[in-house]
Amino acid sequence: MKIRARLTLWYAAILIVSLLIMGAGTYQEIAEQLHIDHSAHVWRHALNEASEMVLDVGLPAIALGLLGGWWITRKALAPVTALTRAVEQKHDRNLGERLRRSGNGDELDRLTEVFNDMTSRLDNSFHRIREFTLHASHELKTPLTVMRGELETALRENNLTAPQKELLLSQVDEIERLARIVDGLTLLTKADSGQIKLDFEPVRLDELVRESVADAKILAQPQNVQVNLSACEELVISGNHDRLRQLLLNLTDNAIKYNQAKGTVAISLSRTGHCAELKIENTGAGLPPELQPRVFERFFRGDQSHNNVVEGCGLGLSIAQWIVQAHNGRIQFNSKPGELTTVTVWFPMDAGAQEGNGKV
Amino acid sequence: MRVLVVEDEKKTASFIRKALQAEGFAVDVCHRGDEALAVAGSAPFDGIVLDIMLPERDGLSVLRQLRQQQNRTPVLLLSARGAVNERVEGLNAGADDFLPKPFVIAELVARVRALGRRGSESKPTVLRVANLTLDTISHRAQRGEKFFDLTAREFRLLEFLMRSAGRICGRMSIIEKVWDYDFDPGTNLVDVYVKRLREKIDEGFEPKLLHTVRGVGYVLKE
Repeated sequence: MKIRARLTLWYAAILIVSLLIMGAGTYQEIAEQLHIDHSAHVWRHALNEASEMVLDVGLPAIALGLLGGWWITRKALAPVTALTRAVEQKHDRNLGERLRRSGNGDELDRLTEVFNDMTSRLDNSFHRIREFTLHASHELKTPLTVMRGELETALRENNLTAPQKELLLSQVDEIERLARIVDGLTLLTKADSGQIKLDFEPVRLDELVRESVADAKILAQPQNVQVNLSACEELVISGNHDRLRQLLLNLTDNAIKYNQAKGTVAISLSRTGHCAELKIENTGAGLPPELQPRVFERFFRGDQSHNNVVEGCGLGLSIAQWIVQAHNGRIQFNSKPGELTTVTVWFPMDAGAQEGNGKV
Repeated sequence: MRVLVVEDEKKTASFIRKALQAEGFAVDVCHRGDEALAVAGSAPFDGIVLDIMLPERDGLSVLRQLRQQQNRTPVLLLSARGAVNERVEGLNAGADDFLPKPFVIAELVARVRALGRRGSESKPTVLRVANLTLDTISHRAQRGEKFFDLTAREFRLLEFLMRSAGRICGRMSIIEKVWDYDFDPGTNLVDVYVKRLREKIDEGFEPKLLHTVRGVGYVLKE
């Protein structure tokens, strides 16, 4: 129940109680004035007088009081409502913006000030964490380059035994993996701090889908996974060509990697309302419902026990989510464990169609 | 061929120099941006390997200055920043090629060699390695007496490998040249395609032509 409603109810209760007291008082008064005559008729008269006064004067006064009370609480609480609305707009990227203060120095103005201080402290911490990750991933690249280079130089020596060579090669593989993680982290950190500007152009989504399905079919062969393109409508959206290709490859590759042998991947692209809807279904083991909301988290691994079965940097779906959001789209992960796992992506179409027609 | 390597990290500079020298390049090394400009202006080079992150003056600004001075020496940019738009930014500044860190040395060497060849070689339309031929106009591929069909992607892959025959092609350059990706897809796409291509051109034939160089990429050679 809202504070306003609660206060108004309390106020109404107080008014009614005081009205009843008033009525009782009036009854007493009239009765006393007439106490010489003890007939029932007189008592009834007093009762009528009193209740008449309560009903004719008291009730309208209560109604008026309530209306006034409701208005006053509304006025008193308006800054709170405004503050709530402003705070609702806060997210990790506009923490630096300060809420507007009324400047009259009352309790709510003070609250706004405290809130502003809190968000600016938060903003500072967020900023520091991003800077740190960015620096860390940059600093990691130099030693990785040196390690990679020196291992390669060592591998060129002819006097290595087979086990030595195998050891060095395995280290090269691990460095590669580490480099991929560092790359992904750099990308996501930069995206978080809004440092990546994507150039948009009209993109034929259906062409990109066909192209990535062709690649997916080849990728799926070693596991005997069947890849089907069930629908592919001709669609143009406004987007970044390279990032959309990356998204498609990323999602189809996931659908294959996490599939079972001889499973299927079904891909479809269609128009639903004002959106382009891309659906990628796979028959893999899927994820239990309680883990599904976490699937876009960085370094999230669905099945801890099978941690090492599928290789990857653990950032694929986070990157996919960033690409979709950078296109003002929406991505959803839905899984019925053991049956069907679906990733659905929606892209807004109107802007793209307009740009495609040249009237931006 | 004389190459200038501009890299502030001493160890990295050192193994790049060693690797290029081992391949018969003459190599000069400097560690700072301003120094690089002076050196590049004082002697003719066939190619410059330029790191983006440099003290004093970063690689991109060095590159812009070079181009402003009408210096057309081909430049291979090295980047540790690994950003999405950096490649475009680098190529716009006048770079001829771009390689993100950490790179494979064999790949770097191959690209430096390609820098020297840029534009100077006319491209043959019929490629030949041993008894394997690829007609780049009719898209027909043949090994010995046997013709085989190639998908569009397989054709581009084979063309790229045959044009660089005898040289190691790193996974990253295959991804770039055959798929036009500017990102590391983190999949085994290249390996799966190469495997399919190998089944077509090598199965039932001797000697095998398409070889794997572990940790690096592939090479097509007799």
